[in-house]
Amino acid sequence: MTIEYVDAGEAINHSALSAMPGIAPAVTDNIDYERLLKARSESQNWLTYYGAYDGQRYSLLDQINSENVSKIAPAWIFQAGQAGQIAGASTYAFETCPLIVDGVMFVTGWDGWFWALDAASGRELWRYKHAVPFDVSLCCGNVNRGCAVANGKVYFVTPNAQLVALDATNGDVVWQKTIGDVRAGESASIAPTVIKDLLITGSAGGEFGVRGHIDAWDLETGEQRWRTYTVPKPGEPGSETWPADGEAWQRGGGNHWVTGSYDPETNLYYAGTGNPAPDFDGEVREGDNLYTDSLVALDVDTGEIKWHYQFTPHDLWDYDSTMEMTLFERDGKKLLGHFDKNGYFFVLDRTNGELQHVTPFVDRIDWGVITRDGKVTPRKYPEKEGEPVHFYPGPAGAKEWTHAAYSPKTEMFYVPVADVGATATRRRREFKESMPYWGAGVAVDIDDMAGSVSAFDTHGEEKWRWRLDYPMAASVLATAGDLVFAGTPTGEFVALDARTGEKLWEFQCGSGHHGSSSTYSVDGKQYVVVPVGWGGWLEGIIPGMLGAGHGSALIAFALPG
Amino acid sequence: MTIVEEPVTEERSALLARLGLDGQNKASMGRVLATGSIAEATERADGTMEATIRISEDEICWEPAILVLPHGGVLELTVINDDKNTHACLLPSNGDQKFLWLVNHSKGRATINLDGPGYYWYSSPGGNDEGRGLTAAIVVQGEVPPEARLDRPEQPRP
Repeated sequence: MTIEYVDAGEAINHSALSAMPGIAPAVTDNIDYERLLKARSESQNWLTYYGAYDGQRYSLLDQINSENVSKIAPAWIFQAGQAGQIAGASTYAFETCPLIVDGVMFVTGWDGWFWALDAASGRELWRYKHAVPFDVSLCCGNVNRGCAVANGKVYFVTPNAQLVALDATNGDVVWQKTIGDVRAGESASIAPTVIKDLLITGSAGGEFGVRGHIDAWDLETGEQRWRTYTVPKPGEPGSETWPADGEAWQRGGGNHWVTGSYDPETNLYYAGTGNPAPDFDGEVREGDNLYTDSLVALDVDTGEIKWHYQFTPHDLWDYDSTMEMTLFERDGKKLLGHFDKNGYFFVLDRTNGELQHVTPFVDRIDWGVITRDGKVTPRKYPEKEGEPVHFYPGPAGAKEWTHAAYSPKTEMFYVPVADVGATATRRRREFKESMPYWGAGVAVDIDDMAGSVSAFDTHGEEKWRWRLDYPMAASVLATAGDLVFAGTPTGEFVALDARTGEKLWEFQCGSGHHGSSSTYSVDGKQYVVVPVGWGGWLEGIIPGMLGAGHGSALIAFALPG
Repeated sequence: MTIVEEPVTEERSALLARLGLDGQNKASMGRVLATGSIAEATERADGTMEATIRISEDEICWEPAILVLPHGGVLELTVINDDKNTHACLLPSNGDQKFLWLVNHSKGRATINLDGPGYYWYSSPGGNDEGRGLTAAIVVQGEVPPEARLDRPEQPRP
């Protein structure tokens, strides 16, 4: 006898089996370019990745200040958790920077997660989960650094190189665009930037020998407006810095995988680019290898490279220059500061790229020397096949991708410093699309490391240093409350006196920090929120903490009452 | 849906059986993942793909163990539990994972949307169904759209 099946019905959204309402207030409807230009003045919000176009990671909020910060405590905790198998299950990390708009928090996670939360209570309002292939190529972990907001939408990228625009009220897809080739080893982790009617993104995948690019997309439709490759083709400007008769440019790297900054007066988008590929085998790519390890200043309307500055010509140490380009003024001059993986702090005239000065910001640098006027002399690098070479800083750099902050109030930069070396042994390999293309075996030191949050004036003179036993691996936040917030690899979230470096408060968050905190206020109450979730490229950054527990929490702190 | 024997060769199937890797409580406690059959989804004229996935009695695994799609897009699944125990189905899909509760001897439907190329795991998210064998793969073939490919000559692949 045949027994009829029980009708199990139609599969439902997993989130339907949760307490979230699925809807959020329409807070991004009237966010446009004019509002984003004045993002810092909306101190109750955190509207862009760095809090403002200038990349300073500085907030005008001062309700929490050096006098009362010792009293702050967790206001709420959001825990993401995990169901099912994900790509890079051992390397996922919470690298995001939460955005806050009028009481709603927009948060990206690893593996295609996006959450909208009530910023006052931490309650989940809606979620979006992109399906990410298990086998996507990820150099350094299943991570995402944040989103952008405008015109009723939120925008983010996924590890499998999709750019997704969501309705900010419910997480429904408005449009989706494929922005990279996963078969070539491309992925995406950058927080997009909204400028005018454009959305700016960049690609990841430099460790797989891709050709880096920066793209602009129409905010409303997702149509591509321009693409600028960061490695020129033969005949294009900069191509003379690559072998003329080779294929090296085709696999040259130079990826823009961290958000750039923007100056509306110069109309330039200041983008950092990543390492050349293969990372450590320079013999197959003789020359300076433009525009890898560079700052490229792009006309935001056309994508044209107006000028560039290369921080590490012919890189042999994996010294990406993708990290923040911080815009600031000094003596009426429009300047840009950049703390590079190579251990040096560069200050440039941001109108033309002219170097102002260079100073070291970490104790141990022996890969080479850069003089104050910018002359580069390499000294120790993988050269002979099979011969190990030890150098400082290691390939994660004296400061990894995590960001410094700049306070215009104290006129100081606050820098998460890593002081750890590595040994690279050149091992040439044939290029094959999608296969890692490093050209060396690399081991980062496991038992000799240090770190600090260090404060520098704009001339590069160190003013104070808060030391720890591990390299710093999370972004720093500065506020008008004369505070510097920073998270450590061992889980402490600390508040330092911005003028002295004295530790005023700490809270053990239960997992290491590898993301970017932000601050905001709701109904007059200031919060500081930090993503907590250890992971990522730990074998490169701090292999001595490779066995520490992962986490997936977002913690908001506030004064009591 | 077409069941394809290759590339799971007769020799490999026999070896899996001899070593007890392809069933419950033989060599290991559960069935080793992806040791079952392979099938290809069918495609309608409008590009929508269709397939059936099934849990057989006392197998605690999905059949097929690997479902192959010709390209990314919308997949309509018939999901059958022929087991005498209750399971569930948690599937990847752009927007949200899709969940289906599967009591004994039940049949349901799921519509999912996946990018290609790449492969995805889905499972029965109860107890340790996932470890016992109820974790299976959906493989999406193909290339990214031409406009998303890098401007460079064709490169060698492994």
